[in-house]
Amino acid sequence: MTAGASGVPLLGFLVLAAALFCLGVFTALRRTNAIMILMGIELMLNAVNVNLVAFSRFVPHGAARGQVFALFVLAVAAAEAAVGLAMVIIVSRKRNAIDVQKINLMRG
Amino acid sequence: MVFLVLAALTLYAAYRVATAHLITHAALFLAATFAGVAGVFFILEADFLAVVQLLLYAGAVMTVVVFAIMLSQMREAGDQPARWWTALRSPFFGLLPLVVSVALFVILTVVYAGVPWPVDAHAAAANSARLLAVPLFSAYALPFEVASVLLLAAMIGAIVLTRREEAER
Repeated sequence: MTAGASGVPLLGFLVLAAALFCLGVFTALRRTNAIMILMGIELMLNAVNVNLVAFSRFVPHGAARGQVFALFVLAVAAAEAAVGLAMVIIVSRKRNAIDVQKINLMRG
Repeated sequence: MVFLVLAALTLYAAYRVATAHLITHAALFLAATFAGVAGVFFILEADFLAVVQLLLYAGAVMTVVVFAIMLSQMREAGDQPARWWTALRSPFFGLLPLVVSVALFVILTVVYAGVPWPVDAHAAAANSARLLAVPLFSAYALPFEVASVLLLAAMIGAIVLTRREEAER
């Protein structure tokens, strides 16, 4: 595998992205606060972006398509954060807690 | 070398997001993680995306997160192990997040190391903003417009969701 940007091979970026993604999964699974779960999801989306940009840098004839997709992921993540946190705010207003264990309105 | 330091800082900040006790600390470390990822983008010669990452994530998304923390008035980050008795009663489920994420990391790393990537280190051009703009406004013009509609819908949705209705009181 050829070394690329400042001597770092592609595998280095991929492993960094994998570690970041798994920390996001870890956050989303172990927290019960809805805001923390959203933060975990943002971490995962960031890891995906690192992957896309790394591939766009290293894989030939990509013509920066990876960066274009990273930009779309960024837009979707911003929309997701806005709507998700708005939902957190109304839940906290109605139930006075955003613990996902206590939001059981639809439990049968 | 720069990459190693940056990666270590990013991963440490992400780890503190997962483990911090106060939600505000987690938010600050999340901002540090976003800044670290922007640095990684700089190393990957994606300057435009790095600046957008700083503006949008470390700026806008973090502002929204901090406002949500303020309005929801929660201080604790809410650990699963805070209710340690559940973890004690069923140790498997208490360790489940750790086991799942470590297993996922190991699987991903093994797969990444095994694949022969068609790598060409000299593929990238110098001007990344132009390189990004040409496909964005030609081949991907329709997804670009859809993304702007999505952002508008998200904005209106957030306003409608959080609006206090006068009829309620």
